[in-house]
Amino acid sequence: MSLSPDFAFTQGSLQNFADCARRFELRFIRRMRYPALETQDPLQFEKRMRQGARFHKLVQQHLLGVPAEALAASLADDRELAGWWQNYLTRGLSGLPAQRFSEITLQTHLSGRRLVAKYDLLALEPGGSAVIVDWKTGSRLPPQSTLRRRMQTIVYRYVLAQAGAHLYAGESIAPERIRMDYVYVALGAERLSFAYSAAQMGEDEALLSKMITAIDNADEFPLTDDERRCRFCSYRSLCDRGGAGRLEDIELDEYEDEEEEEAFLLDFDQIAEIEF
Amino acid sequence: MTGWHTLADQASGPLTAAQWKLVSAPLQGKIWLEGVAGGGKTSVGAARVLHLLGRGVPAESILIFVPQRSLAQPYITALRGWTAHRGGQVSVQTIGSLSLQMVETFWFLVAGDAGFKHPQDLPNFLSLELAQYFMTRAIEPLVDQRDYFNSVRVDRPRLYSQIVDNMNKAAIVGFPISEIGARLKSALASGVEQAHIFDDAQTCAVAFRKYCLAHNLLDFSLQLEVFRDYVWAAGLARAYLRGRFKHLIVDGAEEDNPASHFFVNELLQSCESALIIYDRDAGFRRFLGADPDSARSLRDNCDLEATLDETFVMEEAVAALGAGLGAQLGLPVKAERDADPAPALITEAHRYHPAMVDWVARQVDILVHERDVSPNDIVIVAPFMSDALRFGLADGLAQRGIPLRSHRPSRALRDEPAARTLLTLARLAHPHWNMPPTNFDIVFALMAAIKDLDLVRAKLLTEMLYQDCRLLPFAKVRSTAMQERVTFDLGERYDRLAAWIDRYIDGDRVDAIDIFFRRLYDALLARAGFGFHDDVDAGNTAQNLVDSARGFRWSLDFMSRYDEQIDLSQDYVKMVDRGVIANFYLRDWIADAEEGLLIAPAYTFLLNNRAVDYQFWLNIGSDGWSRRLFQPLTHPYVLSRGWPPGALWTEEDERNLSRETLGRLLLALTRRCRKAIYLGYSELSESGFEQRGLLLEAIQSLLRRYARDGQNV
Repeated sequence: MSLSPDFAFTQGSLQNFADCARRFELRFIRRMRYPALETQDPLQFEKRMRQGARFHKLVQQHLLGVPAEALAASLADDRELAGWWQNYLTRGLSGLPAQRFSEITLQTHLSGRRLVAKYDLLALEPGGSAVIVDWKTGSRLPPQSTLRRRMQTIVYRYVLAQAGAHLYAGESIAPERIRMDYVYVALGAERLSFAYSAAQMGEDEALLSKMITAIDNADEFPLTDDERRCRFCSYRSLCDRGGAGRLEDIELDEYEDEEEEEAFLLDFDQIAEIEF
Repeated sequence: MTGWHTLADQASGPLTAAQWKLVSAPLQGKIWLEGVAGGGKTSVGAARVLHLLGRGVPAESILIFVPQRSLAQPYITALRGWTAHRGGQVSVQTIGSLSLQMVETFWFLVAGDAGFKHPQDLPNFLSLELAQYFMTRAIEPLVDQRDYFNSVRVDRPRLYSQIVDNMNKAAIVGFPISEIGARLKSALASGVEQAHIFDDAQTCAVAFRKYCLAHNLLDFSLQLEVFRDYVWAAGLARAYLRGRFKHLIVDGAEEDNPASHFFVNELLQSCESALIIYDRDAGFRRFLGADPDSARSLRDNCDLEATLDETFVMEEAVAALGAGLGAQLGLPVKAERDADPAPALITEAHRYHPAMVDWVARQVDILVHERDVSPNDIVIVAPFMSDALRFGLADGLAQRGIPLRSHRPSRALRDEPAARTLLTLARLAHPHWNMPPTNFDIVFALMAAIKDLDLVRAKLLTEMLYQDCRLLPFAKVRSTAMQERVTFDLGERYDRLAAWIDRYIDGDRVDAIDIFFRRLYDALLARAGFGFHDDVDAGNTAQNLVDSARGFRWSLDFMSRYDEQIDLSQDYVKMVDRGVIANFYLRDWIADAEEGLLIAPAYTFLLNNRAVDYQFWLNIGSDGWSRRLFQPLTHPYVLSRGWPPGALWTEEDERNLSRETLGRLLLALTRRCRKAIYLGYSELSESGFEQRGLLLEAIQSLLRRYARDGQNV
């Protein structure tokens, strides 16, 4: 089996490949759904994922014009979420350019493949700065070096530089104008920012191209040697790599992005039927 | 050749001059495009989208609007095939997906005005299965208490689905649900008994609506009403959607409903360009509210009308057959006087149904292996696809090495082996439900759960070790000879399964049912030596069951806010058994193989909107080809927009409808066939009854006329 000719690469699929080629193969080539538990505490994990999704939805509603007070009234039963929301309102949007696009998807192409990025928020000022905002609801601030290496940081900036011109008054966006902000709403909306440059973009393009070509040409997709990466992988039992990991050890933010991305790709595949 | 010519060619292959003219029409202007199936309308639509993108139109400003998912496939394929695109993403929506997104987004601004009792809480959108479940909860006490529907011999889930259907029809046509009973009575009630049934249906619809408003539940009908009457009317959504979507492609307008047409019409007021595609002889989804007449009203808001009536699909004899059958059944189509339809028909009469099925498999074999026809270019259709018919065909074709795919929209999850196994083991693990599995269920579950365990050994294990609703350890098999017969290897795996369930029963934790499925799958069934290990189909089915159970739990978790306490897990399994929940699963369509001969109900094939070289029409003597489903509580015509108030639905109306429906169906099938049609006929049906349906009669009449008159019909 090989990857479908119209497969679209995303940060999530590339991160999966970077973490474990075997996982990539099972999920995206064999399209094997495997309903094993991600953690030992599945209900708590689910609650956190739903809170994260709800927060993203709130921001989208707000940016589409629903007044903040109407949205806040719905948060009375969830103090944690209400706290995130307050942090967002206080600092989440501060200093961002005024032209804003929430939950927007851009696509470009590389090595004969589509490369797609789904953004929480793009804040742009034609001729000025172009800021990618990604909301994080996790309660741990990861090291900047870790985030810098994440495929999300690499893919999101690259795709915006390649495919964002129509949002930027028709002009291509110079990499130096681009910045990516991870905003940790559970931590007072603290920001970790990553600037961009033409040199970085060249490096990113080479890396992405190499990964895509490697996937397209691969005969084998080996299982990772790093068993820590298997703790929260749903294919664990298939690969005989132990039991589910503990909730407190998981980086929830990584899963949140992937879930959101999968839901989106699924939506594109599954336009709702009129069900009657 | 210009760049966009190349792009459009990528979308659909070379196009004619007439098609190019439409594809390359100015970026301002609204086009109404109608014609027959096979005329290349969708190819124009797909090429037009790429043309818009190629001319620099932002992808976010393009909306492709279709009545159902399958009709969007050519567009999605074209967009995915164009890997060189840089920019945003085109939206593909149905009225269902779009109204859900908009109601969800603007919920807090409209929920109070729309009459919901808890406007500060989140909305809970109901899938069809959940709508039926909550319908059961809301009205069953009423139905039992007042002995409603006592004269109707249809099972409860089907009755309730018709009440849901009535409410959906009211929403898409735009009349209040309080008028359902009166409309049905005035057209259909022939006596007091019948009038009571419609009164009961009316009372139940109102009761269900009240229940939904009290519990923040939105079935499709309420979702649509809230979207149209509150979200759209309030202006915010209108401003957003009109501001965003400047280029509109509507395909299959005739298959959509008046609510969709209202929405499209609203967007037509503000968009820069539009292409509305209308198939003149279709409208197959009338039973789902499709209204071709309402669709036609969109033409008035277009600047340009175009027609594509030259079919690129059919050979002459097939065209003559379609036109001849259509004319025979009273459709306003011109019979082809110069062409003889007989060469397009291949048939052989059989006395018994299995002989007909065997003949079909042999004919397919000849086409594929002797005449090099690709299985992708063959379809086998029947009015209904029973399990027995599907199995007979699948078996015959598999023996001949012919790959096939099968589309049936309503496959119950409980019929899938992996789901059945999980459900049986769940009953075993929850003895307090008092729903013990039967011996038959245990045999089946053991076979599926333990790799290489055959039927004989599974029966032996069940007979010896399934006692008092528990699986006893393998060591309890007293005879060593019997243990050896089962084998110790299988016995060891059986023990692991039995011990896992015992530990669960004896433990402190009771999982939510979806979590139970996942835990069992992960800890045991998907491990090496067990039945689901490395099995893609089992994984997919298990995931579908988990998704269904989780959706159920989420909906009912939400209900607990309103003081309704339920044993979610037990209720879920009960509802699956009753056929209310998990009765069909849309994701199976995605997972379906894309290659191979297609076996499908006739309408399912039509709504895939693709042509093939050869079609097999089975059971042509069946009156299922022309007869409506028996639905005593609803009626697609009486509840349609065009039904005159107070008019009576007569037997003549029913006969005319049967003829017209069959005529349209046959015309549509032939327009999706290039070379020939094989007719599968047996004197006796699958159930052993004589068959003399309208299709058989129409074909015989047509062929007799040609035999009598030669080509001078």
